[in-house]
Amino acid sequence: MSAAMNLQPMPAITVTSRAAKVMRDQLARRGTPSAKIRFGIRGGGCTGYSYLFEFEDREARASDHVIVKDGVTVIVDPKSMLMLDGTEIDFETGIRGHGFRFQNPNIKDSCGCGESITF
Amino acid sequence: MSTQEPMIADTGALFQIAEPTGRQATPRAPGRGIGIDLGTTNSLVAVAPHGEAPRALRDASGRALLPSVVSYVGDDVVVGYEAMAAQEEHSCAVISSVKRFMGRGIADVTWPHPYRLVSASGGGELFRVDVGGGRLVTPVEVSAAVLRALRERAEAVMGPVDGAVITVPAYFDDAQRQATRDAGKIAGLKVYRLLAEPTAAALAYGLDRGGRGLFAVYDLGGGTFDVSVLRLHDGVFQVLATGGDSALGGDDLDRALAAYLFTAGGHEGAPSRHQQELLRIAARAAKEALSERESVRVSVAACGIEGFEVRRETFEGLIDGLIERTIRACRATLRDAGVQPRELDGVVLVGGSTRTPLVRAAVARTFGKHPLADIDPDKVVAYGAAIQADVLSGSAREGVTLLDVAPLSLGIETMGGMVEKIIPRNAAIPIAARQVFTNYSEQQTGMQIHVVQGEREMAGECRSLARFELRGIPRLPPSMARVEVSFQLDADALLTVTARELMTGVRQSVEVKPTYGLNDEEIDRMVIESLDHASEDFAARSRAEARVELGRVVLAVRAALAEVGGLPGVLPAAERSAVEMQLTLADEAMAEPQSAADMLTLLRNQLERASEPFARRRMERALRAGMEGKSLHEIEQALAVEEAALDERRGAHSAETIEG
Repeated sequence: MSAAMNLQPMPAITVTSRAAKVMRDQLARRGTPSAKIRFGIRGGGCTGYSYLFEFEDREARASDHVIVKDGVTVIVDPKSMLMLDGTEIDFETGIRGHGFRFQNPNIKDSCGCGESITF
Repeated sequence: MSTQEPMIADTGALFQIAEPTGRQATPRAPGRGIGIDLGTTNSLVAVAPHGEAPRALRDASGRALLPSVVSYVGDDVVVGYEAMAAQEEHSCAVISSVKRFMGRGIADVTWPHPYRLVSASGGGELFRVDVGGGRLVTPVEVSAAVLRALRERAEAVMGPVDGAVITVPAYFDDAQRQATRDAGKIAGLKVYRLLAEPTAAALAYGLDRGGRGLFAVYDLGGGTFDVSVLRLHDGVFQVLATGGDSALGGDDLDRALAAYLFTAGGHEGAPSRHQQELLRIAARAAKEALSERESVRVSVAACGIEGFEVRRETFEGLIDGLIERTIRACRATLRDAGVQPRELDGVVLVGGSTRTPLVRAAVARTFGKHPLADIDPDKVVAYGAAIQADVLSGSAREGVTLLDVAPLSLGIETMGGMVEKIIPRNAAIPIAARQVFTNYSEQQTGMQIHVVQGEREMAGECRSLARFELRGIPRLPPSMARVEVSFQLDADALLTVTARELMTGVRQSVEVKPTYGLNDEEIDRMVIESLDHASEDFAARSRAEARVELGRVVLAVRAALAEVGGLPGVLPAAERSAVEMQLTLADEAMAEPQSAADMLTLLRNQLERASEPFARRRMERALRAGMEGKSLHEIEQALAVEEAALDERRGAHSAETIEG
């Protein structure tokens, strides 16, 4: 009997059902229902970090984290995962328009429009 | 590190799923690239599809050379031999040697020519040539006509052409290169790359395969002589020095022999135009024959020359002085390059007249080695261009590793030692991307561009590829100067980094092969290391960012103090000492290399708070001064105009991927 493994909590990214449904619809409308969504953090320098959120036509790389929700696959590279751990992806409709909203607990500061972020 | 203390913040922004960026490759068309030697006197097109040996394409009459002559007689545009035939009769409407006009201003044209040059409307430096019948053409259009003829020749053989590599003299400046690119575009060609003529010749001989070396290229064209010294470093050719004589060429050898024949025929005075032409043709044929034989018999009936014997020594005596002039230029160019003949790894001959044994002997003596001459010297430049075009079209060739994606990110170092990635890892190549950077302070009139490769966040941990400096940035308030940095990664993995100040247009660029000397294990190691060090890298980056931000505010406050701090009523003593204390604290924190990001950010906030009333009063003062006697409407209008003008001068300033 081996010693109990000290389990690390799995990095968690949650996708709400509402967000998953919109992703699924958009993938279907794009004509690539089996493509994936890549979620990540990009950049730095004088523009600061920003979110990367795009269609991904290729397969996930071995090191990528894969999150599947209601048949939609979201993939995150391991480096971005450090800064996205605990993020919830939701979809919002309201007076400010429609779009995905990232609730990222790692964020310290963000610019006025929220597209550039600081950790 | 800040991520250790999670802090819920509502970023507020809503996102849409974007199409993948930075990855879409320009579709390749392997084997559909052509190489063009766009010469002053003659041009030619060659292909080397799918790694085949290069071959020149011929016209319907089997001729490979196309005279770079364009006729605008009548309504048609005629190129080549036919145009040349019309030259004597319509000297103003038939344009030859247009290459000399490319990218030049009207004031630069100091050599004799038969054309009527007209300044382009709007002054400037550009000009057009009046070819009669109310028609004005630019040198670019004339060149485009030659290129179009070559494109059509290629299309007749191989079907649609994807793109072209066009050769230019090594000494061509930016304007001359741009004019050549424009001509290619007008001719309906995608210009993959402009290639220096000596580099093309070196590529035709496969000299790039050695990885490094020093080479000389001796190019005796029809009407010009060029010599270049090239250095091959990490797979990239660099032109160390060029020299030559723009008024000396192989035609001068023919002319020397023609003059001799004329006198030998018992004539005095000058030959008629008709006789001159016949003598030139005979002299040229004799020159060519004398490359193979010791003596030749020449007949020119119109000059009363019948079976006249010319011996090789005689011909050599006639041209000795001309060859000596080229040798002097070679020595001067070697000196300029700081290269001793014995350091050279090879010498390449270009131009038909280099077949002359005397030329070869003189070159061998001067450079201390036998020149490379196995490839037809008339075609060697076009062959090199064809090989390069084949690679850039996406063909796999022996000795060339074609990459589909950039194996590691490419970027530049920004303030604080951070890396700004311009081309992300795994981007499909070829790819071009650009981003605009700003100045840090008003004193900054130069920008160090340090090109790095790798996944780490700090430049010190990445592989350094190249460094250069862009000077001549105008003095502007912080963040107002705009420097566009563009990265172009070609199919053969050649990276061209260009920095351009958008207001003045000053530019500087460098070429490197990022993959040179990089093996798969190393690439893996660099990627894995970036994952292993991810947290400490982010911490280092946060520190660097916080330091840069604090430094920016310190600079701004100091500048404001120097400007208006001494004026009465703007800064009370108590406030001043509070601000100065914060500045001292900031200086101390920044002097300590390990200062934590949170600490630096806290100091920045404190400094901003302490100086806030001062900043407000300074702003109000400035507004009052500007607004006196003006209506609100006028002020709004003035602000809008200023903003628009500034935007225009800045140009676009977001990162973007551009079409390769």
